[in-house]
Amino acid sequence: MTARTTAAVLVGRAVRVAARLRGGGSAIPGNIALRIDPDFLERTIAAIPDGVVAVSGSNGKSTTTNMLAAIIRAHGLKVFTNPSGGNLPQGIASALLSEVSLGGRLDADIAILEVDEGYGTRLAELLKPKTVLLLNIQIDQLNRYHEPDRVAAMLARVAATSTEGLILNREDNFLVDLDTRIPAYSGRAVSFFGGVPELVEPAGHGVASADRFGDVGAKPGSRPAAVEVVALTGNRATLAIEPDTRIEVKLPSRGLHYALDAAGAAATARSVLGDRFRPELVSQALDSLATVYGRGELLVVDGEQIEIIMMKNPASLQLNLDSLESAPEQVFLAVDEGTPDPSWIWDIDFSALDHVDGITGSKAWQFATRFGYLDIPVGSVDLDVRAALKAFLALPKPATGHKVMILNYEQMMGIRKILGFKELEGGGAA
Amino acid sequence: MTAATPKGASRGALRILHLFPRLLGLNGESGNVEILRLRSERRGLPVEVLSYDGPDDAAVRARFDDADLVFIGSGPVSAELIAHPLVTAVAGDLRALAADGRPFLAVGAGFQLLGQTVTLESGEVLEGASLFPVATRHGGTRVVGDFVLDSPRIGPIVGFENRGSFVDVGPHGTLGRVVYGRGNSETPGEEGFWEDNLLGTHMHGPLLANNPALADSLLDTARLRRGLEYTDPAPESLRLVDESARQSRATIAAAPLSE
Ligand SMILES: [Zn+2]
Repeated sequence: MTARTTAAVLVGRAVRVAARLRGGGSAIPGNIALRIDPDFLERTIAAIPDGVVAVSGSNGKSTTTNMLAAIIRAHGLKVFTNPSGGNLPQGIASALLSEVSLGGRLDADIAILEVDEGYGTRLAELLKPKTVLLLNIQIDQLNRYHEPDRVAAMLARVAATSTEGLILNREDNFLVDLDTRIPAYSGRAVSFFGGVPELVEPAGHGVASADRFGDVGAKPGSRPAAVEVVALTGNRATLAIEPDTRIEVKLPSRGLHYALDAAGAAATARSVLGDRFRPELVSQALDSLATVYGRGELLVVDGEQIEIIMMKNPASLQLNLDSLESAPEQVFLAVDEGTPDPSWIWDIDFSALDHVDGITGSKAWQFATRFGYLDIPVGSVDLDVRAALKAFLALPKPATGHKVMILNYEQMMGIRKILGFKELEGGGAA
Repeated sequence: MTAATPKGASRGALRILHLFPRLLGLNGESGNVEILRLRSERRGLPVEVLSYDGPDDAAVRARFDDADLVFIGSGPVSAELIAHPLVTAVAGDLRALAADGRPFLAVGAGFQLLGQTVTLESGEVLEGASLFPVATRHGGTRVVGDFVLDSPRIGPIVGFENRGSFVDVGPHGTLGRVVYGRGNSETPGEEGFWEDNLLGTHMHGPLLANNPALADSLLDTARLRRGLEYTDPAPESLRLVDESARQSRATIAAAPLSE
């Protein structure tokens, strides 16, 4: 069995190097390792002393996992985590490959893993998380899972596997009473995070939780929160932590959703660490975190700042639009087949924009139609991404100092590459 | 949910009844109502939108007979089950509106509930409101992807298909022949139902965005029945959006994709 593990690790690593050189396929090495040694993931994870914390939900998984890992590290624990987006079994196995010894041992006290909600049930069986943090259920998953109810049922199964801690967003229609809809487990501590009504209600589109029909139990916001966002100014939030501590934290960017992510991460650290939890280390950890890749990120191109808003799904786009301080002076939009059905743009409030300079990608004309009915002028539509990008960059320097690009994930990757930003993490110009 | 309408505007206004916007409208479908309203208003004919979500909206319920055009959207099965008794409760009035020639646009679950029966995956059969002479059966593989039709009445129709059900429309007229996608039956053939004033389809989302000719056809049926005129039938602002819609149709039809 050890020989088999070693083979899996070696072959997986070799493939990983090869995949890196070809520039892609980060899940492939994990896939191959799992094929050679199917129990590799389960066995390696089971040996981690403080066990697994699983983070799932529609939106903010990467951000929150990153925050939680930083908070736990600030408390002196060695953390194994999966890189942003590597949240399927193969992705987690790939991440393990880069950190295990040839015998398959991992030098970590605790694993903090972002888990794709679609694979949540399978991953939960495999990973046996002691603690589960669920962030939200939003309608973005329509094309993959078709119905919020189905996503809710999948997340309920993940929640039910937690043995020590379950941390839920009390502002989410589906999560506010999820604990009452899963089988009880003796010893499982349930706690909540949220925001004060003065912040959550006027957020316009609230926290953009999917509508829930039928057996509506508790009202969103009605459960007492272990960690509550009580104030928010720009990218700084104040968190009230039970029983009686207030801390100020830095967020990756403006926006209530980031503040809620921070509250979720703090509530989870509090649940996991118990007596060892020190609120001031939350501030310290979040202060030190770099801007999360691809969200509110600023690229510098030829001395100009370009703010990137990632259009992952309706909820994230709405929250990001709402967090704009004023209508951007120069805006560019690129959306392609990575967003197969942009129907939901009809549910989006685009009033944060007063014009759009250029639109590209295969969905460009569908956006142009929407903007046409909204009387939002569109400068030009060009399906040739390079040409459209060139025309946008050639616009005179904006007085506000920065341009804004609203991109879906695929276009963000492509455009970063065109602009010469090669590395996924970090974001330095080549 | 009711769109802002000036108070005294209702006399000469076109009235759109939007059924169950909260329950049935998962895919940006309220966009259809917005498009109908804007296409009429930009031509100088004001629109009043009446939103009905259930018995609590008694004031709107009392005005069903004012409706010149009716829209009902799609939703997940969970919402369809909740909407079912609510639809049944108003089925008689809806049948009367349909028989009186008021145009209906019904999408997905809304289309199914306005049909004769809906057979669920469990085998349970829901009685529909029987406006449309069609029967729905849930089950089979779900199709998700671009959807391209050819309509004998208005030419190419383009949009998105996301369904896990089949519709038997018998010998009746349809929205169009399937060029890309699945349509009503197991083997691609025809899509939806379109006869006289009744249009039902599983082209979900804001199908009128890509297909303004459909919107105009519904509006014409509605306003001509009332003798209402446009003051500016072809405003420049609609020419621009119609050009964008034409480009959208061309882009999708040139390279349609499915999951
Ligand atoms: Zn017929």
